[in-house]
Amino acid sequence: MQDLITSTINTFDVRAQYPDSDAMNKLEEYFRSGDLRAKASLAISANAKSIITKAVAKSLMYTDITAPGGNMYTCRRYAACIRDLEYFLRYATYAMLAGDPSILEERILNGLRETYNSLGVPIGGTIRAVQAMKEVTADLVGTDAGKEMGVYFDYICSGLS
Amino acid sequence: MSMVAELILNADSEARYLGPKEIHIFQDFLNTGEQRMRIARFLAENEQKIVQNGTNKFWERCPVTPSNSGVERKTNSCMRDQGWYVRLIAYSVMAGSEKPLEEIGTIGIKEMYNSLEIPIRNIAECMQCLKEETVSMMNEEDAAEVAPYFDFIIQSLS
Repeated sequence: MQDLITSTINTFDVRAQYPDSDAMNKLEEYFRSGDLRAKASLAISANAKSIITKAVAKSLMYTDITAPGGNMYTCRRYAACIRDLEYFLRYATYAMLAGDPSILEERILNGLRETYNSLGVPIGGTIRAVQAMKEVTADLVGTDAGKEMGVYFDYICSGLS
Repeated sequence: MSMVAELILNADSEARYLGPKEIHIFQDFLNTGEQRMRIARFLAENEQKIVQNGTNKFWERCPVTPSNSGVERKTNSCMRDQGWYVRLIAYSVMAGSEKPLEEIGTIGIKEMYNSLEIPIRNIAECMQCLKEETVSMMNEEDAAEVAPYFDFIIQSLS
């Protein structure tokens, strides 16, 4: 995986250069946001279960997906859906700490669309759930950290669609 | 890899969020970012001077060496490499970890210079001179941050 620091280093090393002033400013901004990111990660990890519960209630509950014949019908499939949402939340939190989405690509998105298609998991419903997680998380961590988390939730959605 | 990536990969290997202690380490690391960026800027701005002074000192201590043999290409390559090591140290200071330096510049360093028929002891002496020049231009606190990375290169040559 990369974080903002290593991705900057890798970008400039192949040109045998120091990071330019744009990249330096971005890094400085990242370093200044340490407390914000740390607090957000602690809040999310302490409330991970309830974030998922609320997001599911907002987006999937009482829709065709949870009704008999839907892809979340049967406890086993419901549990699998919750487990995946937990993964998304944890990896989005890692990416937020890192300031870089590469870990999402490596651990979540690589092949996920194909897997979901072959399992019959509806992409539209998944995206609705991730968007709901984004809103619930923003309510929990506040506007600034919520915006930063939003970047990585959106990254997951665009990787799925 | 930086310290941040190390913390995340460690937590991920146990499928958990970062714990309070790891978050503290993360926070402390980011909070020293300003100092580390200042050092990286300093190295970027002063690379040429460091390399020039380091080279002069190196030749005083070690006059019989390929870069001082009057072959311009060898002198240029030697100074280019020194500049590259200063740059890699700037990367490592930014990352708060010797990993960038190691991954880009010290794994295989002995084999490479041996194959180029450049005496390893001279390279080590050259790095020592670079270190002394760099440290002499910095305040104590910044010098303490930079010096271990030069030592890391020197150790990898021994």
